[in-house]
Amino acid sequence: MPVAACGAAAVAVCTFAWSQEASAPVAGKSATTDLYTVREGSKVDAHTLAGWKTWRALACDRCHGPQQEGLVGPSLVNSLKMLTKEQFHVTVINGRLDKGMPSFGTSTMMQANWEGLYAYLKGRSDGNIAPGHLYPLDGATDK
Amino acid sequence: MTYAAKTFSRGALVVAALAISAAAAADTDLEQLMANSSNWASQAGDYANQRHSKLAQINAGNAGNLQVAWTMSTGVLRGHEGSPLVIGDTMYMHTPFPNNVYAINLKDQTFKWKYEPKQDAAVIPVMCCDTVNRGLAYGDGKIFLQQADTTLVALDAQTGKVVWTAKNGDAKIGETNTNAPHVFKDKLITGISGGEFGVRGRLIAYDVHTGKKVWTAWSTGPDEDLLFDPAKTMTWTNGKMAPVGKDSSLKTWQGTQWKLGGGTTWGWYSYDPKLNLVYYGSGNPGTWNPAQRPGDNKWSMTIFARDLDTGKAKWVFQMTPHDEWDFDGVNEMVLVDVEEGGKKVPALVHFDRNGFGYTLNRVTGELLVAKKFDPAVNWASTVDMKTGRPQVDKKFSPGTTGPDVDVKNICPAALGSKDEQPSSYDPATNLLFVPTNHVCMTYEPFQVEYSAGQPYVGATLTMFPAPNSHGGMGNFIAWDAATGTIKWSLPERFSVWSGVLTTDGNVAFYGTLEGYLKAVSTKDGKELWKFKMPSGIIGNVFTYEYQGRQYLGVYSGIGGWAGIGMAAGLTGTTEGLGAVGGYKDLARFTTLGGTLFVFDLPQDAGAKVAAN
Repeated sequence: MPVAACGAAAVAVCTFAWSQEASAPVAGKSATTDLYTVREGSKVDAHTLAGWKTWRALACDRCHGPQQEGLVGPSLVNSLKMLTKEQFHVTVINGRLDKGMPSFGTSTMMQANWEGLYAYLKGRSDGNIAPGHLYPLDGATDK
Repeated sequence: MTYAAKTFSRGALVVAALAISAAAAADTDLEQLMANSSNWASQAGDYANQRHSKLAQINAGNAGNLQVAWTMSTGVLRGHEGSPLVIGDTMYMHTPFPNNVYAINLKDQTFKWKYEPKQDAAVIPVMCCDTVNRGLAYGDGKIFLQQADTTLVALDAQTGKVVWTAKNGDAKIGETNTNAPHVFKDKLITGISGGEFGVRGRLIAYDVHTGKKVWTAWSTGPDEDLLFDPAKTMTWTNGKMAPVGKDSSLKTWQGTQWKLGGGTTWGWYSYDPKLNLVYYGSGNPGTWNPAQRPGDNKWSMTIFARDLDTGKAKWVFQMTPHDEWDFDGVNEMVLVDVEEGGKKVPALVHFDRNGFGYTLNRVTGELLVAKKFDPAVNWASTVDMKTGRPQVDKKFSPGTTGPDVDVKNICPAALGSKDEQPSSYDPATNLLFVPTNHVCMTYEPFQVEYSAGQPYVGATLTMFPAPNSHGGMGNFIAWDAATGTIKWSLPERFSVWSGVLTTDGNVAFYGTLEGYLKAVSTKDGKELWKFKMPSGIIGNVFTYEYQGRQYLGVYSGIGGWAGIGMAAGLTGTTEGLGAVGGYKDLARFTTLGGTLFVFDLPQDAGAKVAAN
């Protein structure tokens, strides 16, 4: 289970959004920056989409919250306003073990996609990318 | 069938243990200590996980007068599960990570000794996101601590000095411990956590005297690893018990997926000394994306009965084949006797995460009862009593709809209709008193790849209170295990995540996430008393007697799953998200804490008036 109920650390592991519809796309913003392109809040370029998939697969939400708002770990909506790209890179690869942030240095997915993850989180921090499920730029948003 | 009032008497347990192994019993003192209700010598107070005390000084007539006797800070602000132990004039208190142990002199509440282990902080991230510990065990003059980093430590109960240590797993590959170790006879039994990291579950037995590993019983893999005899290990098959056959686990996994098979063992174990059998359950299969692991994924989600001395499995029962919801089977097995057709049957009662309350014959493993203990449960209509398989509703089956599809309104949520918070059996009413969750979810599985020490989850979930009900996220219920019926049910605003205690005083005690410790009548659930703690309660209520007075205690310290839910509720961002539901409210009631509370009755009438 995840957090508590979860198998591993039992209670410890389960997190998740305590909400009805975390993945409903919102009528969101459209923006293009040096890092990402987003339309209607939840359609993004392939690079950023790979970043979101990395976020999801490595279960970052367990500590940082389903909307990056912070739980046991800090709010990334805030942190990404301060962290440089290089600092971000060092953090995800080395972790901050004393603070409970694991090292993702052994994750091939993180090594391949950390820049996309940075783009995704910047988009969340900028308020341009909506929380929840993301889709390709040319894809449908209903599942 | 109905319950027979008769259950194990503690005296009988001692006699049985001596009869089975005079040598072993002679050098363990736990049975004698548990037979004396003054002590709370094990996490459940007994081997059978009944969590019932014969003490009756505090009773339904006077529980309304309970007052705080003394308190003690644990010094840690994390989720506090489990309870202290009490032996004679000493209380042994534990904490979440870093897993400190304190021996407290009950005479003046001073510390006799402290044990403060140094653990690698790198273990914290793999426990993500809370660092609970469900408590200590006592036996053979030693206090046993199962540290988060999988180190098992035996401390001299008198001095706190380390007698021996053993290593139970490897945090680098996501193996941690949250469970309490359990002493049964001359063995110390422990398990492993890490079901979200591709950890392969097992139960391990150590010699209490030396710390030498006696056996390891894996949850998945080849028969020799499982400690199965294909011809003798039995399981419920077509309405009767039959041998599991060769390769019973291997046949239910694709390729070598069983190596990441999960089936971790972080719950409460129980023991029947007459049968010399240990009972426990295994957790979820590896990755929450069911499409990635076709098959029944045996023996995840399974009740095991194993011989204490050899670890050999006598029988097994898989509750949720091919899990699609994270319904770990680790919740406690309560050993009680039920009456069936005028005959007394030694039974095992288990409230599974999947929402069904099971009653099995604990000698043979036969399935007797499987009924929903929360009417909200919808993922399966019934359990087929011939096959033992839940009849899954395809609408609520993420394995059927496949990856990247949001499956909505599954009840219960991943944390189950009940999680680790243990229930209590009251012999006077023949009822079990059960702390439950009343929460549903959406579940979207997705493809993941295994990388050692990295999360191996593969699903995104959202949780919310059961719809079309009382709006709360929990119930406190009284359950008849002979018939599988709810006798009465008290709605709670939040999940009841605290272990229950019943006593011969006809009272059931439990805590709530808001922080109320409550006393209710075992007869009808009438509330007799409540007290508001500084922080929410996820610990287990316990009781003991010292110098002729009965005391009642519990940890206050929200966290774990509950604390995380609370933190989520604190956020104001709801763009794209619906109502955060009842959990949002939790932040209005409580915040983190770490305090032991101990209660008693007023000494005299004057005090009674003051308390009121």
